[in-house]
Parts: sequence; structure tokens; C-alpha cells
Amino acid sequence: MTLDRVRRRWTWLASALMLALLALIPFDWFLSQYTGLMIFIGIYTMVTVGLCLLMGYTGQVSLGQAAFFGIGAYFSAILSKTYGINPWLAMAIGAFATGSFAYLIAFPIFRLRGNYLAMATLGLGIIIFILFRQLGQYTGGPEGMAGIPFLSMGGLTFDTPFKRYFLVWAFCLATLLIAQNIVGSRTGRALRAIHGSESAAESLGINISLYKVKIFVLSAVFASLAGSLFVHHLRYVSPQPFDFLASVLIVVMAVTGGLASIWGAIFGTATIRILGDELLPRLENLATLKAWHIDYLNIIIYGLLLILMMIFMPQGLFVSLRDAFHRWRLKFSPKGANP
Amino acid sequence: MSEETILEAKRLGRSFGGIVALENLDLTLAEGKISAIIGPNGAGKTTLFNLIAGVYMPSSGEIHFEGKPLGNAPPHKRAALGIARTFQNVLLFDNLTVLENVMAGQHPRSRYGFFEAALRLPKAHREEETISLKARRYLNLVGLGMYADHNPLSLPLGQQKLLTIARALATEPKLLLLDEPGAGLNALEKEGLSELIRRIRDMGITVILVEHDMDLVMGIAEWVVVLDSGQKIAEGTASQIQRDKRVIAAYLGEEEAIE
Amino acid sequence: MSLDQFVQYLVSGLSQGSIYALVGLGFTLIHAVTRIINFAQGEFVMLGGMMSFVLIRSAGIPMPLALLMSIAIAVVIGALLYALGIRSARKASVVSLIIITIGAAILIRGIVAEVWGVDPVRPPFFTGDKPLPFLGASIHPQALWIIGTTAVVTILLHLFLTHTTLGKALKASSVNPKAASLVGIDPRVMGLVAFSTAAALGAMGGVVMAPLTATRYDAGIMLGLKGFVAASIGGFTSPLATVAGGITVGVIEYVAIGVNWGPFTSSYKDAIALVILLLILLIRSGKLAAEERAS
Repeated sequence: MTLDRVRRRWTWLASALMLALLALIPFDWFLSQYTGLMIFIGIYTMVTVGLCLLMGYTGQVSLGQAAFFGIGAYFSAILSKTYGINPWLAMAIGAFATGSFAYLIAFPIFRLRGNYLAMATLGLGIIIFILFRQLGQYTGGPEGMAGIPFLSMGGLTFDTPFKRYFLVWAFCLATLLIAQNIVGSRTGRALRAIHGSESAAESLGINISLYKVKIFVLSAVFASLAGSLFVHHLRYVSPQPFDFLASVLIVVMAVTGGLASIWGAIFGTATIRILGDELLPRLENLATLKAWHIDYLNIIIYGLLLILMMIFMPQGLFVSLRDAFHRWRLKFSPKGANP
Repeated sequence: MSEETILEAKRLGRSFGGIVALENLDLTLAEGKISAIIGPNGAGKTTLFNLIAGVYMPSSGEIHFEGKPLGNAPPHKRAALGIARTFQNVLLFDNLTVLENVMAGQHPRSRYGFFEAALRLPKAHREEETISLKARRYLNLVGLGMYADHNPLSLPLGQQKLLTIARALATEPKLLLLDEPGAGLNALEKEGLSELIRRIRDMGITVILVEHDMDLVMGIAEWVVVLDSGQKIAEGTASQIQRDKRVIAAYLGEEEAIE
Repeated sequence: MSLDQFVQYLVSGLSQGSIYALVGLGFTLIHAVTRIINFAQGEFVMLGGMMSFVLIRSAGIPMPLALLMSIAIAVVIGALLYALGIRSARKASVVSLIIITIGAAILIRGIVAEVWGVDPVRPPFFTGDKPLPFLGASIHPQALWIIGTTAVVTILLHLFLTHTTLGKALKASSVNPKAASLVGIDPRVMGLVAFSTAAALGAMGGVVMAPLTATRYDAGIMLGLKGFVAASIGGFTSPLATVAGGITVGVIEYVAIGVNWGPFTSSYKDAIALVILLLILLIRSGKLAAEERAS
């Protein structure tokens, strides 16, 4: 069997397994204590996958994805709470606004050769964070806003974590599917061509900066939708989850998952969230071994992760593990390798 | 026998800083013919190519394609207009399969975008079918049909170059620019290449090649333009050029310089 | 705003802008030689200030020695960043290398927060804090130290780049790395020198600045960003324009605060530099587009 066929068989198996697992988690007799964690993983995966695509296909990094996350969040919060607009409509408006904004800033940036996106998005992300904090009359300032309504559909209101879990994962899987469809299409081919050789891609009629802009806008829209789901889950919004460190964290998730890998995005997001929400806090309790305040251990670990990942596993942890697994399987396949 | 002009350059010039790569070039190339641009090293052949392809913009003068000025159209627009090219250093997409490389060439002839792709609409499906079919056809044309699912880097150089020609053909061009297609090929491969170029011409596509191998050029070119130090010094049929004193001097001069 | 108030803000802007200039020079140097944008640049500034505080206050080391040691520590870290981080990555893309510097930046930040906490710290002033009168305003002597140091460092850097062999090798490497390596200039050595020098520049800024503005584990982010703006103004190639850019940003920031009207308030101070950055990028890309159109 060729590497590719082995891969496809296992992808099907793994996907089926994962979906089954996902469907069962929020049940009390299974793993319902992790429902909250899984909701966050679902939400953040939507942001991560956009960044994975962006980094994987344009070769540039955005350090401001948390800002788009926040714009979607605040649009949903303000429109639905302060102005009483239908939350779904608010979400759509937020996504449109975020996408338009991304479109406007992307054009000048992508036209420049060299790596300006990183700093430009860093700067933009910080400006937007400052705005969230300063425009108190709209955003509630540093303390934020509470009392954001639940999402509801027909007679069904998403008022329990159980219901929201399925809502969030429906969105998340839809996002991943859309990303998958795009990658497998003419657009995806164009993006991969750009990644392969920009000069050659251009000679085939591919407008490089336009595609880069499109991917950037897509990543912004995904992040915005995630932000909306975020506030309708917490019923509360504040500037804190949208600061620079949040953007860096999203980069860590993307890098761990694998650039240009869609399903790697779940893996990367899950790894980092579990690390940050479950593992590290437990270590904190252990560290009564001295005044080793493990407050900033997480930052240190993320920094190390970024450095080590980029040096040893630039395609991402997930992609490296997956390829290693398949090669190992191929070695022991009875039909032998047929490259 | 009327000859349509497909490409025309008027007083075309290009400088890089202080260096004049091309100067005052007037060029008229006929449609449906195989033309070759030759000249010693540094003559400006690649510059001319890049000007036609849109990689560089002229410092002076202009280029007309099918009677209309190309102006400052970037390379991707020129591909849509019908100008395709290959590269001296191949430039394959090593992250796509052989077939996908050619399918990428269908880009300017297909329409469906993000939206249709994201939702897997039937329009996207139909176009993908067409793209795949046409790509296979071009792949078969250059004789690489059986390698469709292979990694392009697994092919030897000669076949890699054929792949890039198939890829360029997939854009359904009116004009095909071949940048040193013979470089690095052995005698047998060069014969196959000549055959292929003639077949392309017979499909109605105008071919312009930049080439160093004189045998290859003289074997297929119906029109030859000779450049030296950024200027056109001669043009004509292959046999005319071979007897042209200025051309001989230009090449001999190069040999003397090497000694 | 009265004249003496204006002078006050101007001098503050000048001294703050000088720091941005030093950070910007570091960016420019590293980018010119390695094409990398070093996201850890701001951290070197923070380290300069932080280390000088720790050495002087906690370890009781005499000030002049402590300052030199602080700079030396930053240089070592800069060299390590290059040797371990950048060099190890070998064939990595520029983006990967940039991410490595981001990782290094937050690693440094995390370690500092872990070991020395997150409270702001203020090392002692070089020459006390008796304000000096000037044009009706009173200027803090430390501010003069900052401006003076920047001026001297800029001149020294210029002399280094134009009159020493190593400096000229650095310039050659930045203009054309391949050609430079052909004449025997090792790009790895050049990279190491660039990173070490940039770290030194940042740390120097940090040690003169910290007594006046205090420093914190996360001071590096904004300093790095504003230094980047300065470097952008200089096009990542011209040290002189970088310095001018840094000073301009600093002055605009402080004069804007002084004006205190509309969005130009202290809470938006940080945003000013960032808006300048975006404007620069917009203008640059607009020029690029116009160039393409005009051929």
C-alpha cells in the first residue's frame, strides 16, 4: 500500500473515533466534567485553524488574531445586550465587520514584500485592545460587560453547558469542513501553488496578494465567529482575553498543531488548553515545594514550546507525529511498502 | 498567406540602475510560428522574456500583444490574456502531485471561488471535473500521463521540464514563452522536445524560445532574432542567420573573450 | 500650552525617543544582516534595566560595574539566542525564525517574572535627581544621560560601521551576503555580531532609561514595538533615519500628551506610535503600488 492510501484509511478511522468521542463527552456517565474545557477547545480551534491556514499558505504570521476574536466578541456583546438585536444577527454583523476590517488592512500589508504582517498585526492587535479598554461607554471598559443573552434557535435556548457544547462543536466542525473544502479546491490549489513557488504561481494567472488577503480575511471571520460564541457562553465580556499574550497563545496553538494542517488545529488547541487549564494549575498545587510561584511558568513553557517546535518540528507536533505513525505502520504492513 | 502579428515591441528598453540590459528594441513576431531569440551571454534575452511575461516593466517603449498594449499588466493578468511561460530553473510545485501541477495551470480558465468551494456547490464539482480532464489531456500530450499521482521531484530533470510545459499549456495560451527548454537535456530528450514544440505550434499556439543550443534552435525555429549587448543585431530565417556576418562576429567575439 | 511646558514635553519626548532610537538601531542591524525581525529586541532593553536594578540593589555591586555587567548579560543572552535559537534552526524559513524570536521574548519575560516578580523596579539615578533648569523648564539629569548616551552610541556605531574592518564586513554582509561570503566574510559570525551588538544597544538604552521610567517584566513589548516603528521609518537600512524616526515618535507621543485633546491623551499614548506604524506601512505600500504602475 502506498503511504497515501494507508494515510486515508487511518484518517477515516481516526475521524470516526474522534466524532464518537466528541458526541459522548458531555454526558454525565462519561466525561461531563470536561464539558467546559471542551467548549473552550472548540471555540479556540476555530481561531487556530484560520491562523494555521494563514501561516501555512502565506508564510507570514499574524500576531493579532486575538483582536479579531475580540471584535466578534464585543460586536455580539454590545449589539445583543445594549441594543437588543437578535444575537444571530449580531454575530453575522460582527463577522462582516471583522472581515471588512481585515480586508482593508490586508491589502497594503501583503503588497509589501518581507515580513511586515507580524509587526503590523502586533501593533493593530494592541491598538484594538487599548480601544476595548478605553471606550468604556460602549465596551464597559476594563471591567467589561455582563448579562449577555444566550443564543437561541426556535424554541431551543442554549442555556446549559451541555447544549452549548453541541452548538460550539457544530460550528467548529463546520469551520474545519469549510477549511478542508477550500484547501481541496481550485482555491486551495492556488494557495499551495503560491506556497510552492510564487513566481510560477503568478505565471499561471494566480493573483498572489489577492489570495493572501482572502486567507487573512477568512481567518479573521473564523476568529470573529468564535468570539461571538465565546461571549454567548460566558455571558460576559472583558478586554482581558484579547490581549497580546492571547494572540501569542494562538500562535503557540497553531505551531503545535501544524501550519497548513486543518485537523492539526484541534490537536494544537487541545494540547495548549489542556496544558494551561488542567496540567499547569495542578503543578501549582504541587509547588508547595517552596515559594516557586508557578504563576509565570506557563509563559516560560509557551516560549520554550515555540522555540523548540520551530527548531525541531517546524511542520508542527501533530503533523510530525502523524507522519511518524504512518511510516511506522508502513514498515509493519504485510504487503510491504510501495512508494 | 497572411501573417498576423501576435507580439510587437516598439523601442523597448530596460535598465537596471546604471546597466542598460535592453535598448531600443523593435520586434515583430508572427502568430502561429516558432520564433527563437538567441545571442551571446548578457545579450538581454532573459530580460526581454521577463518584459514580455510581465516580471519587469519597461523603462522605455512598449509591448503590444494581439494589437493591444500590455502596459503595466502584472504577470497574472498576462496569463489570463493568453501569455504563458516556463522558467529556466523549472520552478515546479513540489508540494503538489504531477497532475495537480498541471491542474494549477487551469487556474485562469476556471471561475469558481471561495464560496462555491467552501460549500462544495455543484458548480465547483463540475469545474473540478473539467479541470481534471483537461489537465490529464495536457499531461498525456507531453507523455507524462502515467506519473499523474507522483511527486514531481521524483522525475528526472528532462521530465520535470516537460511537466512545466504541460502546466503552461494548461493555461490555454495563445503565446508560449519557453525559457531555455533544452538546458540540461540529453540528445534524445532534445529530440523529443523539438517534436513537442512542433506539435504545440500545430495546435495553433505561437512559441517563442530563448535557447543556447544552436542545433535545437536551427532545427525548429522558423524565425530567429539575434541580440547582442542589449540590441537586436539581426533577424531572419535560420539559414539567413547562420550566414549573417554580424551574428558570427558576435559569437566569435564571445569565444575570443573566453580565451 | 506654555513655552516651558512645551520644552518639558519636548525634552521628555527627546529622551524617550532616544530609547526608541536605540531599540530601532538594534532591529535595523539584525534585519540588515540576517533578514530576521527580532521580536526579543525590546526584552534586551528590559533586561538592561532589570539587571542593573538586581545587581545594584540586591547584590550591592557598585553602579559603574553593575551597568557594565548588565549590558554584558544582555549581550550573552543575545549571542545565545543567535547561537542556539537561530543557528540551530538551519534551513528554517524566515517566518520560523521570527517565531523563534517571539518564543525567546516570552521566555525571557517569563523567567524574569518568575525570578524577580512583576512589580516595577527602579534602579538608582546616575547623578541624583536634582532637576536642572533649562528655558524655564526643569530637566531631569537622567534624561540628559539618556539623550547623551544615545548620541554617543549612534556616533560610535557609525564609526564602527564605516571605519573598522568588522563594521565594514557587517555592512557588506547586509548588502550582499553571498558576495560577502565569497570574500571570506562568514555570515554566521556576522549574525552573531549583529545579535550581540543589537543586544548591547538595547541594554544600554535599558540601563539609562530604567532609573527614570522604572521597568517591569513586560516593558519589552511596547519598547520593542516602538523601536520597530523607528526602524521602519529608517527603512531597516539607514541608522540615521532610524534614530531620527525614534526621536520623532517619542516627541510626537509626549507633545500629544501635552496637548491633551481628543484622542491625544496619556491613555492613548501607546496607540500613537502604532498608528504611525500603520501609516508608514500604508504609505510604503502605496508607493510600491505607484512604482509598479509607473514602471
